[in-house]
Amino acid sequence: MKLSLNWLKDYIDPKLSTEALVERLTMAGLEVEGLEAVAGDTVLEIEVTPNRPDCLSILGLAREIGAITGKTVKNPSIKKFKIAPMKNFIHIENKKDCACYIGTLIRDAHIKDAPSKMKTFLASLGLHAVNNAVDTTNFIMMEMGQPLHAFDYDKLAGGKIVIRRARAGESIVTLDGIERKLDPSILVIADAQKPVAIAGIMGGRDTQITLDTKNILLESAHFDMGLIRRGSRALGLRSDSSYRFERNVNVEGVLIGANRATDVLLQLTGGHLSGRGEISSKASRAATKIKVKIADIESLLGAEVSSLRVKSWLERLGFKVTAKAGAVTVLVPSHRADIGQDVDVIEEIARMIGFDRLPSQLPTIKTINIPVDKKLREIKNQVRRALTAGGIDEIITLSMINTKALIKSNMAGIPAVRIFNPLNQDQELMRPAMLPSFLQVALTNMNRGGKDLRFFEIGKTYLKDKLDSRFRGNDNSYGIKEKETVAILLTGRRLRDWRSPKKEGIEFFDLKGVLERIFQTIGIDAAYEGGNMPVFDPACAASIIVGGQQIGVFGKIERKILNNWDIKNQDIYFGEFHLDEILSLPNRLVKYQPISEFPAIVRDVSLAVKKEISYKEIEGICLRQGGDILRSVHFIEQYLGDKIQSGYKGLVFSCHYQSNDRTLREDEVSAVHERILQALTQDLSAIRR
Amino acid sequence: MQWDFQDIDNQARTQAQAINSPQALEAFRLQYLGKKGLVAAIFASLGAAEPGLKAAIGKGANDLRALVENLIATKSAELNSVEVQEERIDISLPGAGEALGHTHILTQTMQEIISIFEQMGFVTIETPEIETEFHNFTGLNIPIDHPSRDAFDTFYLDAEDLSAKGRRLLLRSHTSGGQVRIMKQHKPPMAVIVPGRVYRPDAVDASHSFMFHQVEGLLVDEKVQFSELKGLLTEFCRRFFGPKVIMRFRPHFFPFTEPSAEVDINAQVLGIQRKKWLEILGCGMVNPKVFEVVGYPKGKYKGLAFGMGVERMAMLKYGINDIRLFYENDVRFLKQF
Repeated sequence: MKLSLNWLKDYIDPKLSTEALVERLTMAGLEVEGLEAVAGDTVLEIEVTPNRPDCLSILGLAREIGAITGKTVKNPSIKKFKIAPMKNFIHIENKKDCACYIGTLIRDAHIKDAPSKMKTFLASLGLHAVNNAVDTTNFIMMEMGQPLHAFDYDKLAGGKIVIRRARAGESIVTLDGIERKLDPSILVIADAQKPVAIAGIMGGRDTQITLDTKNILLESAHFDMGLIRRGSRALGLRSDSSYRFERNVNVEGVLIGANRATDVLLQLTGGHLSGRGEISSKASRAATKIKVKIADIESLLGAEVSSLRVKSWLERLGFKVTAKAGAVTVLVPSHRADIGQDVDVIEEIARMIGFDRLPSQLPTIKTINIPVDKKLREIKNQVRRALTAGGIDEIITLSMINTKALIKSNMAGIPAVRIFNPLNQDQELMRPAMLPSFLQVALTNMNRGGKDLRFFEIGKTYLKDKLDSRFRGNDNSYGIKEKETVAILLTGRRLRDWRSPKKEGIEFFDLKGVLERIFQTIGIDAAYEGGNMPVFDPACAASIIVGGQQIGVFGKIERKILNNWDIKNQDIYFGEFHLDEILSLPNRLVKYQPISEFPAIVRDVSLAVKKEISYKEIEGICLRQGGDILRSVHFIEQYLGDKIQSGYKGLVFSCHYQSNDRTLREDEVSAVHERILQALTQDLSAIRR
Repeated sequence: MQWDFQDIDNQARTQAQAINSPQALEAFRLQYLGKKGLVAAIFASLGAAEPGLKAAIGKGANDLRALVENLIATKSAELNSVEVQEERIDISLPGAGEALGHTHILTQTMQEIISIFEQMGFVTIETPEIETEFHNFTGLNIPIDHPSRDAFDTFYLDAEDLSAKGRRLLLRSHTSGGQVRIMKQHKPPMAVIVPGRVYRPDAVDASHSFMFHQVEGLLVDEKVQFSELKGLLTEFCRRFFGPKVIMRFRPHFFPFTEPSAEVDINAQVLGIQRKKWLEILGCGMVNPKVFEVVGYPKGKYKGLAFGMGVERMAMLKYGINDIRLFYENDVRFLKQF
């Protein structure tokens, strides 16, 4: 709401410097957000909160300034008119939509420019001058907060005003020249045939006041706030009038506004009053009565107050106050519909004291009754520490992605939660997986010269469960799961330390190592299984198994997907897993194993085996054949060079033999070791090297 | 035989001064302390000495041994340190091994905010991002079709709310909905903070993002006062922004608190010149209508509540001028924190 200080002075002189006025208004809850000097005037931009529609007028602000400063407000005098009633002129279809409508007919008006003072005032608030009739309706709206409209009476077919819902298929060209399609959710003002205005929002072009207008119909009315709000949204049309109606206009201002505007119109147009049609729900509301105990004021604010001061503060705000022992009873003025319970009155008292002058003290915080399971948070922190310790940077990406990003990542098949009202395509979907966000971040950094990139995020992904019913009754999911997810991306060169300056490219085992360290930090056993997985290069992909369930996947991203993203010349290793399944696992409990006092014997093994044979299989055979003296098998090296026959790979590992009760003899170790080697040769056709 | 101990001692001292290598030091040791060295010779001479002189000769030999041992120790340290000087490494080279990764500045800010409140006795609870209209609006005294919803413009999902027929699920537009959930499940006293992501359909620019983070706070007990709201948040701001922070409580409106306030901090204290005051958070005393919704006995409890934007706090504290930097994840940004 704009406040012209020149205009304000017509009703109150706050006797404050502009700076002091700004400060006082702001600290009373009417925050001054801007200050503009225009041609000899100062205009304040005031943020009026939605609970204070009474401050959406110059007089309303004057009233508030009066309360703050104790100065008197000079209200414009409102004439009362004796007017011939126009019978059957106005018809309201549903009183719920329109509680009150006053149509005043002024005949033989002379339409011309408004006086310059009125035009200047309107201009200071950003309103363009049109003519004396239209400007008067705008002027009174800004002065008193009552939206008004003026029709060219002679253009109303059948000399009738009907307040009704629009019929399907109806349309209207509004004052701004745009044709608006209407439907029954929208309230219109119609004549005997067609809509002539969208009620409370904007008038129609065909019935507007022009220089040729002779007879003016002045509308002052009260429309349902929710209806105007929905209509304004549906039409995408807002106006100073709809802004006020949807915030609720004081119904008692309808007649006052009509009379004030009639008075001004008669003066400015030289017309004469011909008649008035008026319909209002007679049930005039009794003023809200609230009892507020002084003790309650003191206990809520933590400050001492006297009932005398309370009475005077509230009276300055327009309340009628009766003070009795230990309490005040107030009658709320009709323009303060926001005051309905004692705490609302207490807030008014706090505003009058000044929030900054109220005391301040630390609260006493008692025992907390809420048992909080911190396991998830602890796990997230452990994962974060393990990852940052490994030199990986944390990123935070947006939870929404566009469909295109999902398609580019070859993930279009995953059912994703769709946003119903996105502003643009970047907000279409809740991400079902993190890969698209990560590829975007990698690309952004590569386009800016980044090459060696290592990122992780701990955040949510959103999965739509097709079996909706499984989650019925669970207050948290509704068939949509918010999954706690960890994702890691590695690309570029492995960062070695400066003592061995050779830098090699990151590969699968770098990522696997990161994952192993994460699960070691959390303290759970994870297994890894190879196989074909969407989005990954089939030669280089694995799943993560925890507690018998697959919780995630990792590997080298398919070249095709990288091409879709325009990521050239660089491989990307990526992994993603969910934390939810880990939460339900029991904590691993390690039992102490006695340390042998007897020496270990270590035998190295060097084999060539077919490429498809996994180290896991070899290790399994060793452990099965090794009996109770083979303690462990340690992987040392893998050769893939041309020194090995094609289709084969070289593997080096060591077998550790040890007993808890004796020193092992060379010959018994040799016997077992030979058994192992034979089994490897027989079962896997391994060649000893 | 006669021994001139003073002369011998002087000679040993002179000799020791000239030593400049470990070999010379070893020769020196052998000359005096070896099996055939001087000290051994002196002791050997004791048998033939006059009885009246034996004690003096014994003492002289012991003193000589102590002196030589001392000289050797001193010299040896001297020689070693010379060696160290010659082979001293360049300790200014960087340490080897992986550099640490960086925790995102929003995570750090969030953790700092949470930690301050937990130190003051609050517990942290996370509530879902996908919410119902009841928790996000109705339970917080924000009626449907009410202008107070304007401030909390909302993303709706293409998914039905199974608890309210015909209504859609939504992405929470503030963490305040967590208040309703928590109060429905628990009885006071309680002191809870609810951190997390929130969503509003805003066009993206330097100060707006359609996703951002908030931390909500709620303290409910039989006696909670506005003065305590001021005290609590003043203490928070001092710990977060430093003891010099200047703040003010300005009346505002939230449907779920009464009285309601916004807290501004003085920008100059943070070194920001372009504005005098910067709004940092919203707060107030819990509206009795919210207690009514969650089923607390009328008039029994009072509460204070507050909510702040994590991005805003981080931007003010660290001088970050564009909210998009947080989600763009340029390594040159990430590695600064």
